[in-house]
Amino acid sequence: MNDDAQHWETLQKLFHLAEDLPDRDVDDLLAEFCDDPALRPRARALILTARAAAARAPANAEESSRERIGPYTLLRRLGAGGIGTVYLVERLVGGAVQRAALKMLSRSAAGPFFTERFAREQYILASLQHPNITRMLDAGESADGQPYLVMEYVDGVHLDHFCDAHNLGVADRLDLFLEICEAIAYAHRNLIVHLDLKPSNVLVTSSDGTIKVLDFGTSKLIQPDSLLTTTVMATPAYASPEQLLNEPVTTLCDIYALGAILYELLSGQRPNQDTSVAVLIERSMKEVAPLPITQAITLQAALDRGLTITRLQSLLSGDLSTIVAKCLNPRPKDRYVTVDELMADLRRYRAGRPILARPQTTTYRLGKFVRRNRKLVSFATVALIALLATSSYAIWRQEQAFRAGERALKMQTFMARLFQLANARYLAKPNATVPELLQLGVRVLPDFITDAGDLRAARLSLAESMTEDGDFQHAQPVYAQVIAEAKASRDIGSEAEAAAMGSNNADELGDEKLALALSDEAMSLLHSSQVTPSVRVKAKVFYASIRDNVDFGQEGNTRLLEEAAAESRQLPERERAFALGRLGGHLAQHGQLKEAESVMNEVIAIYGREPYAICDQAEDYGTIGYIRGAEGDLPGSLAFYRKSHDGLVACFGADSEQALEMQVHMVVTMLKLKQAPEAVSLLEASLPAWRRSVGSTSALADPLIYLTRAYLDVGNYAAAEPRAKELVEIQQKAGIGPKTYRMGVSQLVWAQALTGEGRYKEALPHATSAAAALRLLGHPSASQKKNAATAEALLADLRAAAASRTPVKLVVPPPDR
Amino acid sequence: MPLRAKAIPEPGDITLLLHEWSQGEPAASERLFEVVYPHLRKIAGAIFRGERPESLLQPTSVVNELFLKLVRQRSLRFEDREHFYSLSARLMRRILVDQARSDKRLKRSAGALVPLTDDLAWSGSSPEETIHLDRLLEELEQIDARKCRMVELRFFLGFSPEETAVLLNTSKRTIDRDLRFVRAWLEERLSST
Repeated sequence: MNDDAQHWETLQKLFHLAEDLPDRDVDDLLAEFCDDPALRPRARALILTARAAAARAPANAEESSRERIGPYTLLRRLGAGGIGTVYLVERLVGGAVQRAALKMLSRSAAGPFFTERFAREQYILASLQHPNITRMLDAGESADGQPYLVMEYVDGVHLDHFCDAHNLGVADRLDLFLEICEAIAYAHRNLIVHLDLKPSNVLVTSSDGTIKVLDFGTSKLIQPDSLLTTTVMATPAYASPEQLLNEPVTTLCDIYALGAILYELLSGQRPNQDTSVAVLIERSMKEVAPLPITQAITLQAALDRGLTITRLQSLLSGDLSTIVAKCLNPRPKDRYVTVDELMADLRRYRAGRPILARPQTTTYRLGKFVRRNRKLVSFATVALIALLATSSYAIWRQEQAFRAGERALKMQTFMARLFQLANARYLAKPNATVPELLQLGVRVLPDFITDAGDLRAARLSLAESMTEDGDFQHAQPVYAQVIAEAKASRDIGSEAEAAAMGSNNADELGDEKLALALSDEAMSLLHSSQVTPSVRVKAKVFYASIRDNVDFGQEGNTRLLEEAAAESRQLPERERAFALGRLGGHLAQHGQLKEAESVMNEVIAIYGREPYAICDQAEDYGTIGYIRGAEGDLPGSLAFYRKSHDGLVACFGADSEQALEMQVHMVVTMLKLKQAPEAVSLLEASLPAWRRSVGSTSALADPLIYLTRAYLDVGNYAAAEPRAKELVEIQQKAGIGPKTYRMGVSQLVWAQALTGEGRYKEALPHATSAAAALRLLGHPSASQKKNAATAEALLADLRAAAASRTPVKLVVPPPDR
Repeated sequence: MPLRAKAIPEPGDITLLLHEWSQGEPAASERLFEVVYPHLRKIAGAIFRGERPESLLQPTSVVNELFLKLVRQRSLRFEDREHFYSLSARLMRRILVDQARSDKRLKRSAGALVPLTDDLAWSGSSPEETIHLDRLLEELEQIDARKCRMVELRFFLGFSPEETAVLLNTSKRTIDRDLRFVRAWLEERLSST
């Protein structure tokens, strides 16, 4: 009908307008919106056709009127599985009624010679005599040529329903699972694989709660060599990657399926939740492991197990998570070799003994991918995959803003292309670093994204990745570019975001003036409705943080941070933790310890639910450590500093500035707690990293002074002395005056070290300058007074010793900081 | 009989053809049909011989299978996905029509309504209707090629609305909406002629 082509757009418009209207209003709609009276009947016909089709309930053609199949009388339909429909049937055997489950197979699944094959396999299947396995009874063809299988009928409920209905806890679920394992192990010993294990193939009998595994042997009877044997036979969600890829199947497929069942039993979710077959196949090919079980837990799952979500989380992390992951390893040879091994590990876990499986680390998984695709993946790409860890968050956030799937997809295509471009040949370098990749991204972005708004968003996203990655230098001009373009096209949303993120970047860069200006600009745009809540919160947080650093407007800052924290309640938890963490830090810094602690407790609670935000956590644990210390809880303080340090090491590396600085906090607390030996070993180990990081600048004074103090505490004066000497000398070289407090304290520890060694004469001039420097303080704090007093006392002792040659008793005050 | 395709075309051949096809080179598309058709047909034959088992035996898996084979042989790159699947969907349509034509010669079937349901297009339709549907799709191709692609991916290759959306670079909502219209249009045309 050519008319349709002419009115195509109009017809569609009318059709969709009518979709939500009741029948009686359709004509009114047409009268009102369809100017062409000739077109109205055509539009009405389309609209009514759709309604009629929707009204026709999808009749189930499968439901047939078959009453009898062979010698069996059909009672009712039990369900439909992957390869056919299952019925409850009965037959008369020697005058007694015997019930059984009969499965009709589609002809394509059964293939030719089905009954013959059954006859051949029957003796193997008949040999499967196990209390937890349903027996295969019979097979045949119906009058119209449909093949069928007959199995022992089990009156019971599906495993997963049983567990949830009884609110079984983790231990009971493991018991049931071990029963399943027994059955599978037995079958494997008889050289029979199942290949379609899933919760709905495992029944718990109503009579006595015995486990029954169904459908054993079905796989053996299916036409060999057909596509059906592997790809299609199994239920995709529980199928092993090799089944999905139509590769040879072994007992290891069953191990994978057992892992999938255990995953679901424990967490309440399937390992590959809501994933289409196409995506599953792709994942199999790329050897992508399912999400760790600890990340699949839901509140409902916790309730079904009679636990809180935190408790379930902690139960499943560690060994159970490792055991499940080993079963679900994409590579068959990295799984448990036998079901017996799997059971042994589970029993070890139950007995509280160490399991044999080793956890898979991220690097390990990455390595594996690379090994398999060596030809495709250059070294540069390895850096890129590592990059995903740092940048994916920024990009994800950007994608949220993109809303429309198309844009996100374009971004993905771009990212994928970027990975390809960043190979050795394009960059003419063997190893592309993360910053290089991002810079490359900024350069080639316009080739991929033409829409100006999308381009800005993508640029912004790359700049944010640069910031997250610590490449502040290159990020700044990108922010500037986005701001300029956004301004020109009145895109206030992007301008505000770029200004806010850019202000933080400038702050990190040390450009105070620019940071102040950009955060001002961001704040001035917040009145616009184009600014997302997330950007609003960040703009306020950065504005306050920057002013905190330059020390003005403290009260206004507190108010802004409190506002941001309140607004962050509508944001994702990770962003909320960020805003709250900054508020807590600010409050702690300004002595409002009680308030700070309650804010930080909320932050910790969030991280309890989102344990993978390790880098953000680290910073906040440091704040909590500080608060605890300020409140006088030194062991608590040290514990949080340690936690923070661990996180910083994991995020930035042991030699990173962040980790080194946190170590100083730890050491100071250790010294207060009289744990000097550990302080010594920590600082000695990290001193080379300090030297690499800051050179011989006055920044080295921090580790040196605490190292000296630690040596003094343990009485190792010979080791303390050269450290003290270096401490004084680097500061002198850096131009720090002899009369400053820092220099005074440095001279004091040098004097103390020399005194400890018995070199009183050499100690005397250092004690003299220490006392002179410390005496000059205007309004000394308690610890400063103490240091001054120590210096005076030492000086007096040394003078007395010089006069009388008596030994000097050393006084070393605890460090202040 | 093992159904694994024995003679996969020369590596490079397919990539090149696919590239030309994606550039809108109709001749290339014909040649590409010739290269891939026998393989798809061979695999699809297994499906046609019997009743389609519920939900699992998706042509999606079959096509994926072929695609992955080609990728593993380096005849195709992952990036060629979209084109490959669009092409395969069209190919499936052709296979279906061929099948219907040969069936028509064999038997005359009492047909039910052509079900453009969430199920696949061929399940339960008579050969006549299949051929009729094909003709309507040709008409649709002239009016709105993109919607024709949509129907092919969704109903002939069995992609989910989400997957179809990804392949056509749009949102699931758009796919659902457009398909409601196209379905009504096709059904109306089928029943009125």
